[in-house]
Amino acid sequence: MAELAIENVTKRFGETEVLKGVSLTIADGEFVSLVGPSGCGKSTLLRLIAGLETQTSGTIRLAGQDVAGLRAADRDLSMVFQSYALYPHLSVRDNVAVPLRMRRLNGRQRLPMVGGLLPGARSAEQQLMADVEHAAKTLEIDHLLDRKPGQLSGGQRQRVALARALVRDPAAFLLDEPLSNLDAKLRVQTRVEIAELHRRLGATFVYVTHDQVEAMTMSSRIAVMMGGKILQCAPPDEVYENPADIQVAEFIGAPKINILPVDVNTDGHVTLLGQKLPLQLAQPETGVRIGFRPQALRLSGADARLTGVVAHTENLGAEVFAQIAVPGLENRIVMRAEPGQRAALHLGATVGVDFDCTAALLFDQNGQRIRTVRQAVAPELTGAL
Amino acid sequence: MTRDWWKHLILTLGALIVIAPFYMMVSYSFKSPGEIDRGEGGFFGRQEMMVDERCVKLRDPNRDDIAAAALRFPNQTDAQIRDALVAEATAECSMRPVVFNYTKAFTEAPLLRYLLNGILVTASIFFIQVLVAVPAAYALAKLKFWGREAVFSLVLFCLLIPVHAIALPLYIMLAKLGLTNTYAALVVPWTISVFGIFLMRQFFMTVPDDLIDAARMDGMGEFTIVWRVMLPTAIPALLAFAIFSIVAHWNDYFWPRIVVTGNRDLFTPPLGLREFKGDGDGSFFGPMMATATVIVMPLIVAFLLAQKRFIEGITLSGMK
Repeated sequence: MAELAIENVTKRFGETEVLKGVSLTIADGEFVSLVGPSGCGKSTLLRLIAGLETQTSGTIRLAGQDVAGLRAADRDLSMVFQSYALYPHLSVRDNVAVPLRMRRLNGRQRLPMVGGLLPGARSAEQQLMADVEHAAKTLEIDHLLDRKPGQLSGGQRQRVALARALVRDPAAFLLDEPLSNLDAKLRVQTRVEIAELHRRLGATFVYVTHDQVEAMTMSSRIAVMMGGKILQCAPPDEVYENPADIQVAEFIGAPKINILPVDVNTDGHVTLLGQKLPLQLAQPETGVRIGFRPQALRLSGADARLTGVVAHTENLGAEVFAQIAVPGLENRIVMRAEPGQRAALHLGATVGVDFDCTAALLFDQNGQRIRTVRQAVAPELTGAL
Repeated sequence: MTRDWWKHLILTLGALIVIAPFYMMVSYSFKSPGEIDRGEGGFFGRQEMMVDERCVKLRDPNRDDIAAAALRFPNQTDAQIRDALVAEATAECSMRPVVFNYTKAFTEAPLLRYLLNGILVTASIFFIQVLVAVPAAYALAKLKFWGREAVFSLVLFCLLIPVHAIALPLYIMLAKLGLTNTYAALVVPWTISVFGIFLMRQFFMTVPDDLIDAARMDGMGEFTIVWRVMLPTAIPALLAFAIFSIVAHWNDYFWPRIVVTGNRDLFTPPLGLREFKGDGDGSFFGPMMATATVIVMPLIVAFLLAQKRFIEGITLSGMK
């Protein structure tokens, strides 16, 4: 068990800079997800922590100790790979036993045939097998121990890979998109199991994924990475409700957040499609955008702020997502509605959409969140009252 | 099916052309010299009793033999005793052609010794080739180091050099080292197989990087990875290479002929065939073909046993 500190780490592959100065501290026992689109450098960061790659600059500390120059084998970390990476020629039992054999037996004791006859080898082997059985029981694969990986299903291989990682009680677990090769149903189930495993072991987990749902549901903190940088690292609800960057807001949450261009007039009032919103910025800016989650929008009457035509609906049973084309806006807006409102949302219907301005997120032209927003009372609303 | 008849015709013709020499070899190994000369007797020959002229000639009785045999043939002249002895020898030297050919194959030359030499030489060559090729191929496929591409180009370049072009310098080097007429001369020049390195490298390219990274995380060093992870996963490719290597060196006539000049104890099986080449009294085609049959048999049996894995290995290594 250990704290993991990453300071100003950069990594170049030839001309391309994959990581551009990443800093992150992961406390002992924390579950941190590195999430981002492919190519954002999240897997590279994990491989740097693992010791499979060497950083161009910066330091990585494990339990306070700088691990520069330390081989992957000596870092006391376990890793689970996307492709599971089980040894195809070994049985499940031997696959799980490999990390223990490599650490507890010396070179001569590991020799085939004669190794078992050397002093100490037999008792070490017995202890080791007991540990393997224990790990197998934890992951409920004890009935598969004598099979070869080729005879297992994807989910079973995933469990074997997890068992191999946890059998030797490492300082931290590194998981590289471990669920991507599973089918949707199994993924949901394994997600819960990994989260429970983390609670039970109380170990440090670093989890790489491109799936924001996995990150949201399992982590204590999410580090959202884009273009080789960590844009925000915070607990899931914070990242969702209070994104620091427009890219974070767009990446987290499904369906995607609605981003609409707004104008800011000289006194800082925000206007959307010519309508004043009850929001006021400290100073006038250009290129400001406003973001609404689909559930911040609601179906409204003719006096609504936005009026558009229903272009597509997605009925998920418990909720309905409607894509509405609003004249004057480049992209369709997505609104969450109750199933009861389905009748009003038939294709081609003209509907009014209103929103709650307190749930609005404003971003400046660089995509940074504008936090100094005053909830101003708009003049037309005062008139209506 | 009916529209494919011409494909089958071509394949059948091709198969016949390939099988013909083997058919002749096996057939001749059954026949008597007379049948071979006259080209009769079908595949097995008529298997009539034949007399081994050499055997009779060797037992041609001299004066002492006749004197010693006088007791057995009382009241007969020397000429009569001599005729009786020759008749006895002829009877004892008669046998079926197939028995004659195969006994000659093993008695005329120490064929068993040659076979053992062949096994020793091919096995040593293959063993050392694997010892060199597997780590080299692993480094070329999976490790990043400065000049890797250049080294691999050199490997490819070496594939282009024919053995015969460098045979003379190799021979001179071995001669200067005093290694001609030793097992070392038969083995050492072949221990680094660029073909083996190339084949294994192509196979290792298909092994996922994750597997190697997992092994590193599990605490293995690079050499442990080579022998404990890469080698077991590469068994099909290794079998394919084994067939190439063993066939080439088991059948090699050229190189042993160059470096083994006098010592018949070092002869490999193909050199053994020379024992039957035509001297003054004509060629021994029957025994020669019997020897050839004995020599190729281990390879054919091995291939039939490993056929499936062999084809797997070739297709796996992308050499389709």
